[in-house]
Amino acid sequence: MSGLLLSVKNVTKSFGKINALENLSIDIQKGAVIGLVGSNGAGKTTFLRLLCGLYRPNSGNVVFIKDGIEDDIEKFRKSIGVLPESTGLYHRLTAWENIRYHSRLHGIDDTISWNRTLRFSKALSINEDLMRHTRGFSRGMRQKTALLRALAHGPEILLLDEPTAGLDVTSARLVRKLVLQLKEEGGTVIYSTHNLSEAEKVCDRIIIMHNGQLRFDGTNEDLLSETDTKSLEDAYVKLTNDDARIKDKVEQEGWFAKTWRQIFTRNIEYAFQEDE
Amino acid sequence: MNLSSKFKNILTISNKELVDYIRDWRTLLAVVLVPLLMFPTIFFVLPIVLQSELDERQSLHLDIRVETNQDSSEIQFLLDGFSENLLNYSIFELDENININDTSMLMEGIKNLNYSSVLRLTYDSNTTIWEYYIVYDSTKESSGEAYLRISKILSDWEENLTSERISNEGLNEEAILNPVKPWEISQGDIATAGEQAGFVFSFIIPLFVSIWTATSGVQPSIDMTAGERERGTLESLLCSPCTRFELLLGKWLAVTCIVGVSIFLQLTGLVFAISFLMSGTFLEPPELSLTSILLFLVAVSVFGIMVVALEMAVSMRSRSVKEAGSILGPMMIFFFLPAIFAQFINLEGVELFWFAVPAVNVLLAMRELLQNEIYFMHVLVWIVSSLFYAGCATWYASRQFLREDLVESIS
Repeated sequence: MSGLLLSVKNVTKSFGKINALENLSIDIQKGAVIGLVGSNGAGKTTFLRLLCGLYRPNSGNVVFIKDGIEDDIEKFRKSIGVLPESTGLYHRLTAWENIRYHSRLHGIDDTISWNRTLRFSKALSINEDLMRHTRGFSRGMRQKTALLRALAHGPEILLLDEPTAGLDVTSARLVRKLVLQLKEEGGTVIYSTHNLSEAEKVCDRIIIMHNGQLRFDGTNEDLLSETDTKSLEDAYVKLTNDDARIKDKVEQEGWFAKTWRQIFTRNIEYAFQEDE
Repeated sequence: MNLSSKFKNILTISNKELVDYIRDWRTLLAVVLVPLLMFPTIFFVLPIVLQSELDERQSLHLDIRVETNQDSSEIQFLLDGFSENLLNYSIFELDENININDTSMLMEGIKNLNYSSVLRLTYDSNTTIWEYYIVYDSTKESSGEAYLRISKILSDWEENLTSERISNEGLNEEAILNPVKPWEISQGDIATAGEQAGFVFSFIIPLFVSIWTATSGVQPSIDMTAGERERGTLESLLCSPCTRFELLLGKWLAVTCIVGVSIFLQLTGLVFAISFLMSGTFLEPPELSLTSILLFLVAVSVFGIMVVALEMAVSMRSRSVKEAGSILGPMMIFFFLPAIFAQFINLEGVELFWFAVPAVNVLLAMRELLQNEIYFMHVLVWIVSSLFYAGCATWYASRQFLREDLVESIS
């Protein structure tokens, strides 16, 4: 592991009144495989979209560092490979045509991308299907094709948004194996998942996000020791338990806000879990 | 990124969109086959079908009821005409006390299909005038056909009676019936057949071109924008190094190609239909100079740029194909109305400002060019204003491609 590749500095991103990310600061080192863990709606996808420039932060900034020079996303896009949540394949094109299209947009020669595709497709056991139209592909095959598409132009950093979601055991294992292979070759991967055990298997650093906030950033061992728990699952639950936060908020409510809540939220009363 | 790589990106996007689009057989049907065959079908098959239907209707034997206050020998000419025209008549004496305006019973008979039509005919011996009316049902084909045949026979009878009465008075029939008549010369109209055709087409083609341009761009525009959003393919594309403007231009180029091919094929079909299927009739290919043809293509192109850019912008704002379709459908009226309106503007002495009104300007330009008339000021104004509108539409479309919520889809 060497050098800083990416730096997220005090980033806040909101959609209307909803804060999707709150004052997030994360540094990504070159060669690291980072697990981005969080429940649905934690802000993982928003964070990844910020990294690849699809969203612009309301405050703070995302900086890429190449050869010691800081740059914004627009100049760094060629170096990013993205596997979005929806695979986004064109069904009337073959798997290779899908991959080639994106490689060409990255300015990569067809021969180079073909060689890379062939190499990784063997690792994912999909090399026989490259010339097939993706219309008839299973969820796993589509996911693998999208992964090949993200890799074909030789990115410096790979952003994977739940790469094993919906995959069978064998396919998920192949994807994880490929990520580990990339790690050995010095690749940088940000691996978004809500599966802690998967993050434990693949990642050497875990970032836990909850309600748009950074709750933890460190190694598996740090996570257990910091939370004083014996399993990652317990640690995650402890970090993301929002009862205390809501209790504080409700206690601070004024008379008007409380009445408003009781009328318009059908008189919900919060039941708070007692601290052990 | 240098200019050549930007251009390369645009071509890559456009090429992929075209391949993706034409791999659907329904697209080929809509873009190639239908436009190519539409006019030959209309010009060739439709007349045959119409003629066959007409022949079938004319061969029908129809029952009619004739009511008169005269003896049948007085109307022998009429009765012979009915027989010759396959009208089976039944004659009834018209009661002198009957209310002539009361047709309720006759209507009942027609509604019950007892007879197709009724002719009521009375003769006034004081004035020597025959009066008649025909009762029929315009919503029934057989009744309408009977009405047409009776009217024609009555007209012939009137002509015959008139001639007879004039000659009984010892007058010159030609001098009485035709006191003013034109000289029979070979050609009074100095316009050539090609010019006449150009004049006729100047009312048809601009209207068709505007409708084709607007309608044939809808489906590909939606498919390449809202369709991509819905299918979730846009996110990975937006992550690529190409800029949003390159993306817009690539997609716009693809839609424009599809619209262009569609219009070209429809025009080819139209020219073929006129040149071969309708040759020898009043329709001939219009006589146009090369400049007129080139300017016509420019007019179609700038109109296409504007329409496609607007359609893509609107589609891009939509989260789904359904939403885009429900907006673009009613929006078509903004292209159709100017197209229809432009048909009614007099071209001779037309005010210059019309050539600056969006959509109307291009349609008027097409009309002038099809009449092979080129006025420098008109051309200047419509080219500059059209390019301005096309630029505005493209700018608006590019703004839509910069929206952050493009990555959100409903899928």
